[in-house]
Amino acid sequence: MEKRDYKNMWVYIEHDGAAAAPVGLELCCEVRRLCDVTGDKLYAVVLGDLPAAEIEKVRGCAVDGVIRVKGTGYSPYNTDAYANAFTVLSRKYNPSAIFVGGSINGRDFAPRFAVQLDTGCTSDAMELDYDPATGDIQFIEPAVGGKIMAVITVPTLRPQVGTIRPGTFRYAPTGARAQVEEITEQIDFPRENIRCRRLSFKPDEADPQLDISDCDVIVCVGNGLADGTHLTRYRELAALLGGKLGCTRPLFDRGILPYKLQIGQSGVIVKPKLYFCFGVSGAVNHVAGISAGTFVAVNSDPDAQIFNYCDYGIVGDMDEVCDELIAALKARK
Amino acid sequence: MLKILVCVKQVPDVELVKMDPETGNLVREGVPTLTNPLDTNALEAAVQMKEKYGGTVTVITMGPPMAAATLRECLACGADSAVLISGRPFGGADTLSTSYTVAKAAETLGKFDLIFCGKESLDGATGQMASQLAERFDAAQITGCLLIERCDPDKNVLIAQRALENGVETVEARLPCLLTVEKQNYRARIPNLRGKLAARKAEIAVLTENDITGLDPRKIGVPGSGTIVPRIYPPALPEPGQFLSEGSTEKNVARLVGLLAGKSAI
Repeated sequence: MEKRDYKNMWVYIEHDGAAAAPVGLELCCEVRRLCDVTGDKLYAVVLGDLPAAEIEKVRGCAVDGVIRVKGTGYSPYNTDAYANAFTVLSRKYNPSAIFVGGSINGRDFAPRFAVQLDTGCTSDAMELDYDPATGDIQFIEPAVGGKIMAVITVPTLRPQVGTIRPGTFRYAPTGARAQVEEITEQIDFPRENIRCRRLSFKPDEADPQLDISDCDVIVCVGNGLADGTHLTRYRELAALLGGKLGCTRPLFDRGILPYKLQIGQSGVIVKPKLYFCFGVSGAVNHVAGISAGTFVAVNSDPDAQIFNYCDYGIVGDMDEVCDELIAALKARK
Repeated sequence: MLKILVCVKQVPDVELVKMDPETGNLVREGVPTLTNPLDTNALEAAVQMKEKYGGTVTVITMGPPMAAATLRECLACGADSAVLISGRPFGGADTLSTSYTVAKAAETLGKFDLIFCGKESLDGATGQMASQLAERFDAAQITGCLLIERCDPDKNVLIAQRALENGVETVEARLPCLLTVEKQNYRARIPNLRGKLAARKAEIAVLTENDITGLDPRKIGVPGSGTIVPRIYPPALPEPGQFLSEGSTEKNVARLVGLLAGKSAI
């Protein structure tokens, strides 16, 4: 088969049996835009049972069709059944591209079925484009620690597989189409063939401070932070502003703050109305994960790249500026 | 007795890699290299398994001859033997061909019960290698393992905790199993002097394309890669924002508060 014989784009709809995860819907909206350019049809792929109201949400993203896979082995999640389902489906329908939300489980099984299908896989693209000359999708992302932007393509093999981080694209549904194709596939995965299976699950104690993806005000601290004992003032500032604390990758690497607070391309993608960052250098990987209404940067280095992304910049000692800001905000109240 | 393999990578210190503004190429010359940080956590988990259940730890990497330095670091930290896959035809490989090559090379060393690799690399950072290697090894996989609770080599099972976005699941996997570990429970150990000396003298086996039986030349290096990078470019740097320079921190902050209040941002 020639690569041009592979048609249509698929988006995997991750869900927990009750609700579809936002990332699949976000991807449907973005890949809809791409399909309008390429002329491909957009199909959402749902493994296992999902309530009708949630399927309606998927349809609302202007998909041309929904492929629902029934059978044993899909709940709870396991790598073997999920990878197998996409391999079986892809061999039958030969899609041009498969997009999978870059959740922990999405990133777990997508690269695996890409090998089963002997095709190329990319991860963490921040932009999707199409090159009509080659017929290839361009997966565009910061690379080498943010020093460069790289365009990645799958030039000969199909399908083109990409995992995309939650929050990269906006959920902006344009409404269901008049005609939505319904495909149901029965693919049973025998339980005894599941090589790694869940025995139990313990949900994290809900800590709202660790959920920053929808937060309106974020105070982000970067590698300029001397050590964990200096965090108190930033927490206080965040609380005064009705916001939450976030961090850059080095602070997670240094063990000062948890991964859930890491903002950027390889962490949480955020869209606050007001974003403060202190002691952040401004690596592309970090700023690629932020779309802020108002962006304030504080850094002791006047040449720090972060100042290129801010609305307002203050050159100065991060702790001093933070303390002064706390005092000024308290004085206003 | 567990036969354990750890797949590691030598990476450039990405902080020091620069892009040549004239040619648009990455300048790697003279850039120091290091063992991919998350690979050291994978090695630590492997060595802990060996210490607990008995067995051997082999480290394997693919790269130029200088990548042997990474293997020696691993030997100093508890690995027993080391293998370097090296040769021109392997160059330019993406994860599709690298996973093929590493698994084919490992086949020449026998069957492994446990395979560890880092969660992602500092340079490529795709985070795809683990799942792709697991498929190549026809093994179970546990990505993002928080803690290995226990392993029963006789029954061929392993029980582990895996971190998810909203909690922790306990899973049971069959051997062979490939794992990536979260770093918090597997901080890399500091090698002692004896380990360092032994590592310096240790023999490192080198496998070239001619030493790996059944290697399909179409599946390695550039020809075996599924992805290419047709273009790189410097990230567009926006114009700097408005610097507040009123003469003192106090005045700068007062000005900022005024500006934000004016926009109803606070």
